[in-house]
Amino acid sequence: MIAAAQSSGAPVAWLVARAAGLVAFALLTASVTAGLALSTKLLGARRAKLLLGWHQTLMWTALAMVALHMGALALDPTIHFGLVGVLVPGAAPWRPIPVAAGIVGAWLMLALAVSFNLRRKIGQRRWRLMHYATFGAFAIGLYHALNVGTDVTGMRGLIFAGIFLAPVVWLVFARILMPRPRPRKTPLAPVVPAAPLISTTVEQPPRADRAAVPL
Amino acid sequence: MRNVWATILATWALLAVLAVLAWTRPQPTPASQNIPSAVVVKGKNGQSQLVVVQGGASPSHATTRTSPVPAG
Repeated sequence: MIAAAQSSGAPVAWLVARAAGLVAFALLTASVTAGLALSTKLLGARRAKLLLGWHQTLMWTALAMVALHMGALALDPTIHFGLVGVLVPGAAPWRPIPVAAGIVGAWLMLALAVSFNLRRKIGQRRWRLMHYATFGAFAIGLYHALNVGTDVTGMRGLIFAGIFLAPVVWLVFARILMPRPRPRKTPLAPVVPAAPLISTTVEQPPRADRAAVPL
Repeated sequence: MRNVWATILATWALLAVLAVLAWTRPQPTPASQNIPSAVVVKGKNGQSQLVVVQGGASPSHATTRTSPVPAG
């Protein structure tokens, strides 16, 4: 279909690649924003659950758009990237470093999306550490868009970066600076002496000294 | 259901961006506008003449120049 439309004169593959790349980055930004909004704990439990679902779904939708972006570039008859050029970092002949960064970012996004489903297997702590790579994927995506994207050059590039960076930076600062809610204290179980206390090895200081001990 | 909404949203966004990119694409200028071309003209006596038409000249049908009105 792309080849047929291409023969009519319109660079369809090139247009699809550009549009899919822009939409993919917008969806990635939305997913990162949702994740940061969750971590600031500004929302109630019910909204947080809803947002967690959207956080995952937006990441997978962004990945689908990245796949379309790569597929269209592989099929483009002008730039001749091929399948290897869009899957292997450094294999593309055109602007190799920013293109390689985009490919690394795409693989990172795939790993992060898959990690949602492996959360229980890999453990909460490891998953959380791995999840910090989302910031890396976002930064790499922005670098790739600003250095390779033909639609975000000059003043348009600055506006693009400002629009997509603003919510992420704001929420990062909110997360760092805002006081985090304390974890709930679990109620103590009532102490029931199993047997009458006969003796203790710990020597208690006299009452007058006990008051002086700092808490 | 959330996945369906996300797919619909992403598809519409893609189509909208695609439309904007296609609409704002610079159109290629016609090649014949600024390049001189040669035309073979056959005269009354049957002889063929090669006439070079300058590029960028005003189209022949745009205006007509009339002869000045003879005095007297």
